[in-house]
Amino acid sequence: MHTLKLLSAFFKVNVQMALAYRADTVVNILLNLMWLGWELLSLSIIFNNTETLGGWGIGELIALLGVFRLVNTMMIALIWPNTEKFNQSIRDGSMDYTILQPVNSMFLVTFSRITVWRIWDLILATVLIVVGVNMSGGTTTALHILTFILLAITGTLIIYSLWIVLIALTFWFTKFDNNVTILQALMDAGRYPATVYPVWLRVIVTFIIPIAVATTIPLQALRGELASGQILMFVAISVASFWVASKIWKAGLRQYSGASS
Amino acid sequence: MPPTISVQQLSKTYQVPEREGGFGAAVRGFFKRKYKDVKAVQQVDFKIERGEVVGFLGPNGAGKTTTLKMLSGLLHPTGGGANVLGFTPWELNPEYLRSMTLVMGQRNRLSWDIPAADSFLLNQAIYRIPDDEYKKTYKELDELLELEPLMKKPVRNLSLGERMKCEIAVGLLHRPKVLFLDEPTIGLDISGQARIREFLREYNKRTGATILLTSHYMADVTALCERIIIIHHGQLKYDGGINELSHKIAPFKLIGVILAESNSHDLSKYGTLVQNEEDWEKQYIQVKAEDVTRITSKLLADLPIHDITIADPPIEDVIEQAFNS
Repeated sequence: MHTLKLLSAFFKVNVQMALAYRADTVVNILLNLMWLGWELLSLSIIFNNTETLGGWGIGELIALLGVFRLVNTMMIALIWPNTEKFNQSIRDGSMDYTILQPVNSMFLVTFSRITVWRIWDLILATVLIVVGVNMSGGTTTALHILTFILLAITGTLIIYSLWIVLIALTFWFTKFDNNVTILQALMDAGRYPATVYPVWLRVIVTFIIPIAVATTIPLQALRGELASGQILMFVAISVASFWVASKIWKAGLRQYSGASS
Repeated sequence: MPPTISVQQLSKTYQVPEREGGFGAAVRGFFKRKYKDVKAVQQVDFKIERGEVVGFLGPNGAGKTTTLKMLSGLLHPTGGGANVLGFTPWELNPEYLRSMTLVMGQRNRLSWDIPAADSFLLNQAIYRIPDDEYKKTYKELDELLELEPLMKKPVRNLSLGERMKCEIAVGLLHRPKVLFLDEPTIGLDISGQARIREFLREYNKRTGATILLTSHYMADVTALCERIIIIHHGQLKYDGGINELSHKIAPFKLIGVILAESNSHDLSKYGTLVQNEEDWEKQYIQVKAEDVTRITSKLLADLPIHDITIADPPIEDVIEQAFNS
């Protein structure tokens, strides 16, 4: 309950910041409208010219795009701005105040900046997923949709954990501005279904670089291609990676408090 | 009742990377780092009772901020212990964090682009302050600091003094029992300093909060604190009343002189000449406080004086002098 209150407080402050400068606000609205138009245009090109890719039908591809967008929105609306703020706060010392607030510091670092303009992206992604699922035919069952949602969450959690580990490294390196660039590079590999890659690359994309877990894997669940053992495994992996990430985060905080002056 | 703050043998040693200047050294340093141990705080002991206002003094790099950071929980000590309000600070117990505050004069907590009122509300959410309590506290702070006219402007449009008022207020919204203030008046003009000082005194009287503050301005300390703690090179040098300190250190004054003509006159016969890098135009003479009147009139009589000032020596110099001798 308190978490929700806090989230809404952060959201409000970010809306206030987004509206602080008039010209900037107008430019942002125009830019985002342009982006939306461009996105719709490129989607229509994909719609009209693609039938299948790597054995996936058009409906499934659209749903995959939707899931990719969802994860990508998380990157743009949360991870990028918060990484920027985080890197800056380590250098200018405002991290001190973050640590001394009586709220989980990982939570603060994750949600204190929100690019509110990307709300449209969230809506577009949801529409794509719904449309894609509908188009892929009547084979999906409620159970498949549920596992799809579950695996989308666990996949997001895995990417999130990876991010936490990457920014926590900054506690040791002091300067590590490329932390989020690395994550973005890994992310971009998840744009296409993992099955289009050769097997060796697929293994890397799925496991070593666990981005596909948030895109391809949920879609496979939607298609009913995953055994319950596999589903359990992904859930377990995500819980484990979140656990490891928060341990590393805590160790990072200790390092920070051990080294800063 | 146990003391609000108690510190035993508190120590902090930093490892600082070190290398010579120059390109070759930078490359060598990349492959092989050398570290040097810096003893920032060494076996410091003190106790502070509830409601005390204590000035924490020492020259730059003496270990003041390091100590404050350990007491607020930001830094783990490398030795010794501390207890504040029954908590070990660096365990960062949320209950502890809700009952203390750290205000650093050179850091910002308020968001730059939006009015302070918005940041205040965010802090209300973070510290889980119920609405009625928030309103009450805000009203009190407004009474003392005259916040209302500042609340509606974006923080970037506030003057330094106005911003500092808001920074202090936002740190007090949750009614902390212990205040750690690191240079709360830094950069402010005289009236700004006085206002913050007045506020802290009144706040302490009203709430009984315990305050530990560092400052470069002697006036802050003399106006607020009956007790001071001095550290130098990380070691505790003095802990006691402020009046006893001025007895302990010979009370000096600085006479600053600009001569109308050339600077060829020898001023050293009037007192000890003191270097001042910030104001090279003026020559400074250090004299005993009881001799000030006599020497000043002698200077005025003897020399073509263009400008003359009498001031307290900077606190850093007093301390430096007292403990280096």
